[in-house]
Amino acid sequence: MGAERTAVIGVGQTRHVSARHDVSIAGLVREAAQEALDDAGLDWGDIDAVVIGKAPDMFEGVVMPELYLADALGASGKPMIRVHTAGSVGGSTAIVAAKLVMAGIHERVLTVAFEKQSESNATWGLSVAMPFQAPLVAGAGGYFAPIIRAYIRRSGAPDYIGHLVSVKDRLNALRNPKAQLHLPDIDLKTVQESMLLWAPLRLLDVCPSSDGAMAMVIGSEQAAAAAPGPVAWIHGTAMRSEPTMFAGRDQVNPQAGKDCAADVYAQAGITNPREDFDCAEVYVPFSWYEPMWLENLGFCPEGDGWKLTEAGATAFDGDIPWNPSGGVLSSNPIGASGMIRFGEVAQQVRERAGDFQVPLKTGKALGHAYGGGSQFFSMWVVGNTKPES
Amino acid sequence: MTRFVENSIVFPYKRSLGPVIGAFMTGLTEQRILGIRSGDQVIVPPLEWDPQTGAELDPDGMVEVGPAGTVESWTWVPAPSEQHPLGHPFAFAFIRLDGASTPLLHAVDTGAPDALRVGARVAPRWRGSRVGHIGDIIAFVPGEQPEVDGPDSGPAEAPVTMMDYNASITYRNPVPPVLDRLREASRDQRIIGQRCPVCERVYSGGRGYCPIDAVELGEEQDVDLPHTGTITNFTIVTPVQYPGQTETEPFARVFVLLDGTDVILPYQPVVELPVGEVRVGKRVAAAWAPPNDDIDDAGAMGGAYGHLIGWIPSGEPDVEDPDLVNRIF
Repeated sequence: MGAERTAVIGVGQTRHVSARHDVSIAGLVREAAQEALDDAGLDWGDIDAVVIGKAPDMFEGVVMPELYLADALGASGKPMIRVHTAGSVGGSTAIVAAKLVMAGIHERVLTVAFEKQSESNATWGLSVAMPFQAPLVAGAGGYFAPIIRAYIRRSGAPDYIGHLVSVKDRLNALRNPKAQLHLPDIDLKTVQESMLLWAPLRLLDVCPSSDGAMAMVIGSEQAAAAAPGPVAWIHGTAMRSEPTMFAGRDQVNPQAGKDCAADVYAQAGITNPREDFDCAEVYVPFSWYEPMWLENLGFCPEGDGWKLTEAGATAFDGDIPWNPSGGVLSSNPIGASGMIRFGEVAQQVRERAGDFQVPLKTGKALGHAYGGGSQFFSMWVVGNTKPES
Repeated sequence: MTRFVENSIVFPYKRSLGPVIGAFMTGLTEQRILGIRSGDQVIVPPLEWDPQTGAELDPDGMVEVGPAGTVESWTWVPAPSEQHPLGHPFAFAFIRLDGASTPLLHAVDTGAPDALRVGARVAPRWRGSRVGHIGDIIAFVPGEQPEVDGPDSGPAEAPVTMMDYNASITYRNPVPPVLDRLREASRDQRIIGQRCPVCERVYSGGRGYCPIDAVELGEEQDVDLPHTGTITNFTIVTPVQYPGQTETEPFARVFVLLDGTDVILPYQPVVELPVGEVRVGKRVAAAWAPPNDDIDDAGAMGGAYGHLIGWIPSGEPDVEDPDLVNRIF
């Protein structure tokens, strides 16, 4: 495509918690950004542009974060762009930042995504009565529960499959000091006995509500050469969208997700994702979305996703670990959650994932985010070797 | 003539203030206005980072300024709205407080615009009861001496770390004619759909166009839809509590496939159907409010179903069809 070779040269994130009352939103964002700059060995003046993302405005009542946060992110005299694609925004924000470098426009771009859920209530934000629309009054869980029910009936999956994911991701989170939920005693029984929130989803099948921020510095080949540590090369990026509601739409296995995966795999030379990746960080806010996305992303034939989960293929020591960081089920600062997926796979191929580092064989990993009513998808593939072109 | 309905969105957000803004707000409760040092500048109101360089500013470098200052620029507000700080005409002004390098934006209360000029000296009129909010200063008034309005309740007992931010917006929407037709028809216990003349798909809910063929659907496309159907899928919601939430117990929303059609009514309430008995394949019939009941505009605002208040079990045997569950739209 003639794009410039581009890499993640710095990664930073806050510790994710249910409420950060000690900092302002600006302070939260700044913490992640400063860590990413330090990691890249850069100062504020070295950054050419800033790209910021957050979840829908009503979630916090911050309508223009690009305006409010310009000084906190050292954006004076520089381009600053805000990206907005609901829950997938963290991923698409990173992709917009990467494209500014791929296009040869900038050398070093700071990208940041955040959410401070403690300042509001996301379920309220999703339930506001909008003119002339059937009110959802259900929050995200109420929206996705019928789709999960359709998946279970369609695939014939046993009812405990979702709970297995809930346990696995929380056990992974024990290795991640920045994850919000640390539940050392979690097991199948604890999940099965937790409160039923949106049948078939129980409390422990659902992501927490978090305050947190994620940041990355994306750099050119030249910037990567000057970086003090290892970098994660970007081998492919893709975004797709589709309308939320139309007659005949398959929400269990959305076309936009399949198309997005096919696009990013083609760019990165991926022909068998289960074998070609060392791990994946995939947006799984409700446990059942692991088997559903295993199928949507082509890790197995349609209908077989739950078998991979049940066999332990996606476990930390499985053949294709999914969400070794603990995933969205362990920390969900909504606007940042997609970028955390993208950043965690960068850390994996940089061998900087600490106690949840997976062994590198192919040196490639997949970062994934989705948002809205499964209508926005963003994905990238990163690797520890320079892409050919 | 186009009819309008009003919609309001209201939510009590919280803001955590952090070390710098928190200290500024705490200072206001003490009738002190604080700035922050950045090099040889004093920035007021204080910022956490230098706006030019992005460098972190040290909260220990906060200094008191004012209380009096000089008007650097101003604009007159002749007809204040509810959201303005004063209920009578006033000025918004840039006030450079003594000792500050940057101006503070606040209200100046002079009664009339001809009493104000660039270079005028002003001082704060403090609220007697202060909470740690920029509104603790009611306005600036001409002169050098600060004033307190009413009995002084003193400074905050503990440092101010949080602030309430009660956001609200009210706006008016034109009601599409098709929604009014649907609402009126619901009084006569009719469910109106619209058939696309190109693809012949039938849509519910008063969409007014076919999203596949991009064809506008008018009154001539209206068709009557049946009053019986089958639940294809559902969600049982355990309500999360937040300001404005009226639900306290788990409740159901169901997707109803209307008989003899391909039409799904999504997220429908149920009537006389306990949560535990909601299931895929259950047969239901429309439940109606009495025709003279006054269904407010929530009907139009909230889905255009008007007097159709939900779905009640019809008593027929369940439908056994493995594909039903896939019908969410």
